[in-house]
Amino acid sequence: MIDSILLVDDEDLFHLVFEDACSLLDMTLSLEALNSSDEADRLFRKWFIEGPIDERPGCVFVDLNIIGSSFDGIELIRKINHDYGNGVVIGIISSSDDNQEIEKAKEVGAQFWIIKSDEIEPRLEDFLNDYESYQARTAPFKVYR
Amino acid sequence: MQLSQEVRDALLELAKKKKVYLEGNILKVIKPVDNDTELKAYLEVCRTRDKDARKKRLDVTKQVQSQNKDLEAAAQQNEQLLQDLQVALNEAKRSEQEAEVAKAEAEKLRDEAVEDLDMLQKRTQFELIGLIVKVALVIIIGVGVTTTLLYSVAMLAGADTTLLGNAWSNMFGILLTNSFSIIGTIMGVKYATEKDN
Repeated sequence: MIDSILLVDDEDLFHLVFEDACSLLDMTLSLEALNSSDEADRLFRKWFIEGPIDERPGCVFVDLNIIGSSFDGIELIRKINHDYGNGVVIGIISSSDDNQEIEKAKEVGAQFWIIKSDEIEPRLEDFLNDYESYQARTAPFKVYR
Repeated sequence: MQLSQEVRDALLELAKKKKVYLEGNILKVIKPVDNDTELKAYLEVCRTRDKDARKKRLDVTKQVQSQNKDLEAAAQQNEQLLQDLQVALNEAKRSEQEAEVAKAEAEKLRDEAVEDLDMLQKRTQFELIGLIVKVALVIIIGVGVTTTLLYSVAMLAGADTTLLGNAWSNMFGILLTNSFSIIGTIMGVKYATEKDN
């Protein structure tokens, strides 16, 4: 089970889908969902500068295109990994499977890419099975199709 | 997390009497003591109910999400159709304008052609009139000169000029009258032509 999860996605309906899927899979006890990358950026900056560091989530799922935000999911991952000290399992959850975007995400340090679809649960289950190796930084980048 | 006896009893009572059960992630952290089968059964019911409720909600949310996507796709399609329609409308307007320009051009050409034809007809008329005038003048002058010469020769030769003089006088009067008549006709034709324009 993952200690805590942060979801950054502009679609409120997906928050519900993700929350219920996580609950059914017993993925986590603590799930927070945000609508904008700016808000997530503010939180990580706060944790990085003021702490406490253990308030940070164990795993972050970021949507690729976050409408209404100053920057997209890939830029948020770059900031978290390079500006705010890394330390979390982080990746993209998106309906896109654009190879160029996937490569960009990989370059900025995303550890996984989960493709959103109607049947998200099997992918999340696979991800949960791999989670420990992501935590240990031993798993290679993976796309869950 | 373990529940106190008081809380445990209250929860079980609530479930029995009011059918109110705990739900959510709190169920995953409550640990019953090993021999408390009643609480274990209660928690199992709670988890099953919670799971069923979440499953239902997940299905409904997915349906709504799918319908939203369909609606968005339909809206995009409508937007595209509207854009296509606008393009077609603009194209139709442009064609109409082009047709109007072509029509104006054709009318202009037609007017020019009519004008050219009119001009041609007038020129032919003027040329004909000019020819008639020339022929008439030649005849008038020729007859006048011939008669005058004959009359002059007769006078110089001392011959009787009574008949010739009368003839010359009559002839000259007729010719003069005719020449005025011709000039009058020409002026009339010219005036009528100018009036038509």
